[in-house]
Amino acid sequence: MTENRYSRRAFLNRVGWLATLGSFGGLTAASARYMFPNVLYEPPKEFKIGTIDNYPEGVDFLADRRIFVVREQNHIKVVSAVCTHLGCTLNWVAERNQWECPCHGSVFNQKGVVIKGPARRPLPWYEVSLTPAGRLLVDERRIVPYTETLSVKT
Amino acid sequence: MKIRNILIRNPIWESIVRKEHRPSEWIQTKTLGLGLINLFLFAILTVTGILLMFYYVPDTEKAYQSLKDLEYVISFGMILRNMHRWSAYLMIVSVFLHFSRAFYMGEYQKPRQFNWVIGMLMLLCVLGMGNTGYFLPWDQKSYWGITILSNVISAVPVIGEQLKYLVLGGTEVGQNILTRAFDMHVKVFPLVLGLLMGIHFWRIRIDDGLAELIPPQGRTTAASVNNPGGNDPQGQTAVGWSDIITRESSKCLLILAIVMGMSLLFNAPLEEVATPSVTPNPAKAPWFFLDLQEMLSWGPPFWWAIVVPGVAVPFLMLIPYLDPGRTGSGQWFHPSRRVQNILFTAFVTVMIGLIVIGKFMRGPGWVFYWPWQPWPSP
Repeated sequence: MTENRYSRRAFLNRVGWLATLGSFGGLTAASARYMFPNVLYEPPKEFKIGTIDNYPEGVDFLADRRIFVVREQNHIKVVSAVCTHLGCTLNWVAERNQWECPCHGSVFNQKGVVIKGPARRPLPWYEVSLTPAGRLLVDERRIVPYTETLSVKT
Repeated sequence: MKIRNILIRNPIWESIVRKEHRPSEWIQTKTLGLGLINLFLFAILTVTGILLMFYYVPDTEKAYQSLKDLEYVISFGMILRNMHRWSAYLMIVSVFLHFSRAFYMGEYQKPRQFNWVIGMLMLLCVLGMGNTGYFLPWDQKSYWGITILSNVISAVPVIGEQLKYLVLGGTEVGQNILTRAFDMHVKVFPLVLGLLMGIHFWRIRIDDGLAELIPPQGRTTAASVNNPGGNDPQGQTAVGWSDIITRESSKCLLILAIVMGMSLLFNAPLEEVATPSVTPNPAKAPWFFLDLQEMLSWGPPFWWAIVVPGVAVPFLMLIPYLDPGRTGSGQWFHPSRRVQNILFTAFVTVMIGLIVIGKFMRGPGWVFYWPWQPWPSP
């Protein structure tokens, strides 16, 4: 019977291999997970951009936030200034009434819709609300349709 | 003569060349010696790179400042940075020529298939080093290069966003990607490339030297030539190799002179400090990636930056296993390899053409301009 028994040597051998592979597997998985940071020290996605009086009629570029603030009389809209193709910062070209991308030549009309590729997705419009103190609050996590505007009494 | 003997007749060289075939006319005149040029450029890059690292700080606030210090404050900093940049450019060119040479001579044919694969991996390493090196100065080119690259990565199906998060170490271009690029550039890529270089050289020995037209049984070995009578007369050993070593050493000195000359005459470019709100118009990738950027302007990044390179690179890598031809190895443009050579030339011409178009014929908004056409003022 002894020869059919699972021998101590075979058992320890298997345990040894499992422990070795387990250690390397675990270390590999842990190192892979390690590469994905849990806390990001990045600018917040929700921020205040002053009052409507800061923005004259038309399209204004907010450099440090990479957004455009569009004012039409007392209506305020905020759109991303990041090209949906590969993330370059768009330029507003007032004489042609459109956004143009310096990198690969994408063009967006004043509704943020692509009128010339290579970009394919429209520009996202961000939700704007008013804080109790009357400041404009932009939330980049909330994408709204182009038609949605914030009316501010001036 | 004494010093020459120490240089050439020492155990290191002898252990390398001991069993090597007698160097024929062929090796001296036909292979161009590009491999050794690459090795030497890698040595220049290692030395200058280590020196640059003594001052460079991989911090988004300080990196650009340390570059300015290297240029204007630190003695010979500018020269060392120039040498690092120009020898990197030369290395990319010379790696590419080495790769073309190996193709046009059918060097990848049996039994040397695997060394071609190693070579392709090394080519990818060199491009990876070039790319991560471009991120380090944290100027406009770095910033927008990373931005475009990270968005290309996010076009990978299913795992694109996670992959972008992994590369950037976050959701935005910032400190984490600079740290990661630095780590890859100065540690991971050089280590991997060094390891692959070792395998590459070792495989040459394993694969019976380089491809030659001489049938194997007709070859004379170094030992039988250098040591015909079985004894070793003083000064007679490895005469053929001593010629090659002298030749190649002078070639290395010439390369060094070229790199130094270029570094004295031309300064490595440095753009303005990285500014997220302003994308330079046009924003161009480093020249060796302009073929990819040109293709990116044609359509969705998924097709032009993921699928096309994702098919082309493995295809190039597997050429030795896909091309069943067994003739013409060791000869330039052998007639039996006409189809292969035409296809390869077409591929290379398109790539170089795209780089030239991207470099000289793309203006603001990636609009086509002839090189002599003025760009509209903004």
